[in-house]
Amino acid sequence: MLQEESDLSLIIAQIVQKLKGSNLYAQLERQAWASLQRPEIKLESLKEDIKEFFKVSGWEKKLQNAVYSELNVYPLPSHPAAPPEHLKEPLVYMRKAQGSWEKRILKSLNSMCTELSIPLARKRPVGEQKELLNKWNEMGTDEPDLSLFRPVYAPKDFLEVLINLRNPNYENGDSLSFRTHLGLIQVPLKVKDIPELKECFAELGLNTGQLGIDDSTQVPPELFENEHVRIGQKVLAEQDSAAAQQYIRQGSPTALRAELWALILNISSQPEDILYYEQLKMNVIQHDLLVDSLIYKDVKLTASNDDYYFVFEDYLYQVLLCFSRDTSVLGHFAYNSASPPKSYIRGKLGLEEYAVFYPPNGVIPFHGFSMYVAPLCFLYHEPYKLYQIFREMYVRFFFRLHSISSHPSGIVSLCLLFETLLQTYLPQLFYHLREIGAQPLRISFKWMVRAFSGYLATDQLLLLWDRILGYNSLEILAVLAAAVFAFRAVNLMEVTSLAAAEAVLADLSTLKVMPLLQIFLFATVT
Amino acid sequence: MSRVPVPCHVKGTVTLQVGDVRTSQGRPGVLVIDVTFPSVSPFELQEITFKNYYTAFLSIRVRQHASTHSPAKWVTCLRDYCLMPDPHSEEGAQEYVSLFKHQSPSMTFPKWLSHPVPCEQPIPLLEGLPDPSRVSSEVQQMWALTEMIRASNTSTRIGRFDVDGCYDLNLLSYT
Repeated sequence: MLQEESDLSLIIAQIVQKLKGSNLYAQLERQAWASLQRPEIKLESLKEDIKEFFKVSGWEKKLQNAVYSELNVYPLPSHPAAPPEHLKEPLVYMRKAQGSWEKRILKSLNSMCTELSIPLARKRPVGEQKELLNKWNEMGTDEPDLSLFRPVYAPKDFLEVLINLRNPNYENGDSLSFRTHLGLIQVPLKVKDIPELKECFAELGLNTGQLGIDDSTQVPPELFENEHVRIGQKVLAEQDSAAAQQYIRQGSPTALRAELWALILNISSQPEDILYYEQLKMNVIQHDLLVDSLIYKDVKLTASNDDYYFVFEDYLYQVLLCFSRDTSVLGHFAYNSASPPKSYIRGKLGLEEYAVFYPPNGVIPFHGFSMYVAPLCFLYHEPYKLYQIFREMYVRFFFRLHSISSHPSGIVSLCLLFETLLQTYLPQLFYHLREIGAQPLRISFKWMVRAFSGYLATDQLLLLWDRILGYNSLEILAVLAAAVFAFRAVNLMEVTSLAAAEAVLADLSTLKVMPLLQIFLFATVT
Repeated sequence: MSRVPVPCHVKGTVTLQVGDVRTSQGRPGVLVIDVTFPSVSPFELQEITFKNYYTAFLSIRVRQHASTHSPAKWVTCLRDYCLMPDPHSEEGAQEYVSLFKHQSPSMTFPKWLSHPVPCEQPIPLLEGLPDPSRVSSEVQQMWALTEMIRASNTSTRIGRFDVDGCYDLNLLSYT
């Protein structure tokens, strides 16, 4: 058998294996059994008749969506000789850097524990459990004393780590030469240039209708918007994930967005999912985690202070506290370069039967983490649905923004892509900003780490996140960051300090993202 | 048909440099690795597996005795096989690679080594889907493997993060 054939059968085998444990498999089995009652199912042609039944009843489509979802999320099976670490991150020096960074975070959390004499986790007394249950829908009214807590790290701490990343096999020279990178990122990852980006983001081109451009008030809706909405409704009726993902590259109509995102992320809220969320809620009620205080502090510092998002404060607690207890999130560490922190039950240090992950989902929130959830509150109003969507967005996209990896959508690649685009297409601006001590990445890093949440107006942010889903990639964040610099280039050329440059770029709330992206990619003279 | 690893001795790398003077400043781009097979009995080589470390192109030459009377000949099996599509970036730099004997035109061992390959043959495009029974047997194998692992792993309970209801933790562990 040729290598490609055996690769394909290996991929199929892996997907079948994964889906066998899922709800969908159980449902398909039940449906197949139930279908035996139907008159069109004949014993002599059982297999074909059941297959036909699945096709007609829409179950085949559900299976297709599940397979498509697996292909989107999980990396292709690697070489049989490759160990699991290789799947998480193929480059050894990046794995080591991620390990060191994690150790720093753990030390920081441990010292917070010992300084404040607060346990990592404790069981709530029954009285406290009752109180929390009563207050569940209005946890925002609580004003606990969080003054002693500090965020475990902020994006700028993480940036310093990325700046110091070095490939031991890369001859860079310590002094500035034509071989050193002019920007802050010094690792030679492959990033796309504008011709490659144009090909990749072809649907954002000048000749293709876009929501965010061609639905503005001056443009008659008959030209694009009406037809686009009609197609969107058809895609939803067909319940086809792949079609939805293709469709949303041109943007999603506001009325259809919630359903489209759920279809693309392959989220359908079954009774089991609602029950699972309730179970997580019970876990929050029963155990109090130190991480909870970090979440409270983060929400109070960021989302509660934001004009658009403060109304959703209670929802944010309901999602993030449950997220910390969700052990199903541990699955994503198979393809995340990060690893979940480990701990031992008190008094059982070193005994593997008493080893646990902390927090249960293995994710320690940092300053700004709650901003990943906030925009979703505009779309989903039932907590369990909001929760499912956020969790899927996290394990597909957001985790890459705060772990060190060589993945093309990882934050390191995004930083390098941003710097390379700016250097190549706006060399004067780049040189000027460097000269005044305002390395552009120092300003744009926080935008990319938060996927622009909290920096753009919400309708613009949702149009941007439409494209993240549509292209299954975060590269658009780096392109937008470069486009913003290009847009404000004239003002930036006049500033003479980092503070002044930051002031020029402090307020992005008036920006329209789609015209910026389109002009930068397709209409800039290079 | 089962496959077994062939015992081999991999020698250290030797840099190829022009001239007699060995200098460390030359930074040559070509290194040679000698691999010898101590076992005398003939074998049919199916696959060569290795982990790359920043090698961009690979050539493989083999020395084989065609018969006991004729002298040994060096033949090139693979020339400039690309491991890193862009040698100045990280793509493919630390990947695990397998080279199969079908990547040359002929299928049997002696013939494969006696015809030098002038350029890389394009691999024929896949037509249609793989054989379902083969996929099914692979799924069976994987299922059996998972069952074995699941049977040996008694302590994990699905969805629970505590141990017997207890989640009293001291500090995070660094190992």
